[in-house]
Formats: sequence, C-alpha cells, structure tokens
Amino acid sequence: MNIGNLIQLAVSAVAVALLVGMAALMTRGRAAPPLDEAAARRLLAEEFPDDRLESLWLAADGRGGVARAGKWALVLMRIGDGYLARRVVWREAQAAQSRGGRVTIALREPGAPRAVLAFAAWPPPTAKGEAAT
Amino acid sequence: MKIPTDPVTLATPFFILSVILEIVLARFGKLKARYETKDTAVSLSMGLVSTLSGLPIAGLSFAAAIWCYHHRLFTIPMTAVWAWVLVFFAEDLTYYWFHRLSHERRAWWAAHVNHHSSQHYNLSTALRQTWTGGVAGTWALWLPLSLLGFPPAMVAIEKGVSLVYQYWIHTEAIGRMPRWFEAVFNTPSHHRVHHARNPRYLDKNYAGILIVWDRLFGTFQPELDEEAPRYGLVHNLGTFNLLRVAFHEWIGIAQDIVREPRHTLGWLFGPPGWSPDGSRDTSATLKTAWLARQEAKPAPVKREAA
Ligand SMILES: [Zn+2]
Ligand SMILES: [Zn+2]
Repeated sequence: MNIGNLIQLAVSAVAVALLVGMAALMTRGRAAPPLDEAAARRLLAEEFPDDRLESLWLAADGRGGVARAGKWALVLMRIGDGYLARRVVWREAQAAQSRGGRVTIALREPGAPRAVLAFAAWPPPTAKGEAAT
Repeated sequence: MKIPTDPVTLATPFFILSVILEIVLARFGKLKARYETKDTAVSLSMGLVSTLSGLPIAGLSFAAAIWCYHHRLFTIPMTAVWAWVLVFFAEDLTYYWFHRLSHERRAWWAAHVNHHSSQHYNLSTALRQTWTGGVAGTWALWLPLSLLGFPPAMVAIEKGVSLVYQYWIHTEAIGRMPRWFEAVFNTPSHHRVHHARNPRYLDKNYAGILIVWDRLFGTFQPELDEEAPRYGLVHNLGTFNLLRVAFHEWIGIAQDIVREPRHTLGWLFGPPGWSPDGSRDTSATLKTAWLARQEAKPAPVKREAA
C-alpha cells in the first residue's frame, strides 16, 4: 500500500463520517412510531403466516413484543427503524431473565445474539391474570 | 501520483455526492428514499473496509490471472473495440454465475450475505460490500477469461465497470425505466426484487448489467405492483456490530461444523438454511410454503391487464 492509497483511504473515511452525520441530521425527529397492537399483528402475520397467535404482549417502550403461538414464542425487536423477528421455544422464552424492567431472550445466533425487551413483569401475565405456562 | 484507471476509484466522488443528494432530496420529499443512521454507518463502513479486503490475497489472485494469461488460448488485443464488446458480455455472464453461486451455496453466501443484510434499499446499500470475498475465492471464476486471452487488466477494468453500473440501481427513487431498457438491462426495479425477502422474490434477478441472463436461465422475476419488496434477509440481523455483520454467517458455519462435523459438506455447500433434519428455512422451503398458502386462499378476483 503506497502513500496515494493511504490518502485515498483517509479521504474516504472522512467522507463516510460526513455521510453518516448527514443521515443523522436529515432523519432527526423522524423516529419510527412505537409498535401498537395492530402494527405488531401485521408484522407477525407477515413474518409467521402459518402461526395462530394466542396472546400478544407489547414491550413497554413500544420497541417490540412477544406473542405466543402454541409451543412457540414469536419475538419482535426493533432494530434501527425495522424489526427483527424470531421464533423461540415458548418455555425458553418464558424462563428468560428479567432485570431492571428488561427481559433478555437468548436467540443464540451470531447475527442476532439476543432480544432485549422492556417488560416490567416476566413471564407476562395471561388474560386471566395468571402467569402464562 | 498516477491517474487511477480503476473505475471504482474514479467513481468514488460520484458515489459520495449522489448519496448526499439522495439523503437531502428524500428529507425534503423530492424523492423516495429511506435512510437510518446506524444502517447507513454500517453500509458505508462495510464499503470502506471492503476496498482493503482484497489485499491479503491480492498477490495470489494476481499471480493466478497472470499464469492463466501466459497459458492463454488466443491473444485478444486490449486496443480493439470488438475485444471490449466481447469482454463486456463474457464478464457479465461470469458475474451472473458468480452471483447465483453466491446465493445458492452457503460458503459463498457467507461472503455475499453482507450485501443483503440491510433492511433498507438506497444508494448506501450499494456500497455495503463484503470483506470476505477474497478468501471465499470467487475471484477464481474470472480466471477462465484470462485463459481465453483477455488481458487480466482488461478483465479487472470490466469488473469495475460492472460494479459501478450496479451502483445506481440501488434506489427506490426510480420506479421503472423505459420498457426496452427494462427488457435488456438490470434496473432499480429488477434489483429491488433481488434484495427482497418476500418468498416469491427470493433467489431471483442475479444480473450484473444485462438482465437477459436471468431471462435465459430462468431466474427472472419482475417487480409486481401488488407485492412491494420487503428488504433484507429472511432472518434479519439483530445487531449493528460491524464484526457480527461482517462475519455472522462464517461463524454460523463454523458452529454448525463443530456441532455436527459429519455434515461438513452440507453445512458448507448446501443451500443457505440447509440442515440435516430440514428444520431450518431455505429459499426452497419458504417458496413451497408460500405457494401452499396462495393455493389455500380463496381465488382472488382477477385483475388482468387488457
Ligand atoms: Zn445478491
Ligand atoms: Zn445489490
């Protein structure tokens, strides 16, 4: 690598910083709206079209949610202005650790290690007011 | 400092300016484009580092091309117009098969997945390039061109031309190009389909410059008004950590091999999502499930063009 290449690289790095700053500036105040039940159901239907939802719980900050479909937990987590969707065994999701109002569900993938969701109580209460089993 | 002949280097100022333009015009509602800061940062950082990623094997790939050229079948002059026409078609056909291989076999998908991991589709997505293309060895697919007699420099320039061409098609700002253009060339519309994760759009439109290869080899899928593309991976990433973004599929392969080494060949060369027990999603299983759902639906009222 010669000096010309190094200069080129440095200029490109500055350009990247400039463009990212530009994107930050231009998208300011345009954050995606918090997830509501209708949006969550639409997303889940898109991601898991063959599953029948029994219950749905939305994260307190509107940045995700968990639905139960039989033996599965269907997990949504906001990433950027999009969502990550994963299917996890319900019992494993149910046993996830909760700390400081956040529950961490292990996804165990190199590209998606965990889903962290704002839930004051975990496991979530069912419609009958009991802990879901 | 000598003037660069690499088309990508020459086009870099244009890349930067056009991304700025797309961001600003979208902000003021002048065109359709969606940007998100972290996503943009990841795409551009991937692009920046990818320019260095060829270096570790640059010596090997260069030597291999020179060796092939020394043993060439014909001598093709770099100064003749017909030679450039010929290398354009030959390179573009090579690109089609490189790209198809990169989607259909996991070892090469592990390198190419990076280009597809954004949930966005804008000009910055074009610059989201792999760091591991060199070690994946796909550069070897272009060696037959040098063996045929195209000078390695000519092949390298044509590869750059193709990469630069493919830049402008990464946008939602352009709907459809004129009909004749859509018929022959890869366009924003065709490539949106390629970046989509909707089952019916998976593994389609592998073209570099000419879409005719997809039409010829049965992988063409037009963008449909009734089905807007949803971008990204079948299982989208849950992190913006650059190292995870760059290497997640390689790590996944390694973990699978360690867990079940007797299936090493399948883990490496099966289609992405392949597993011995079929418990994971592949393009084929997703398409089958999608088709079954379509057939199960009550027949929609036909909206056919007159
Ligand atoms: Zn691709
Ligand atoms: Zn692309």
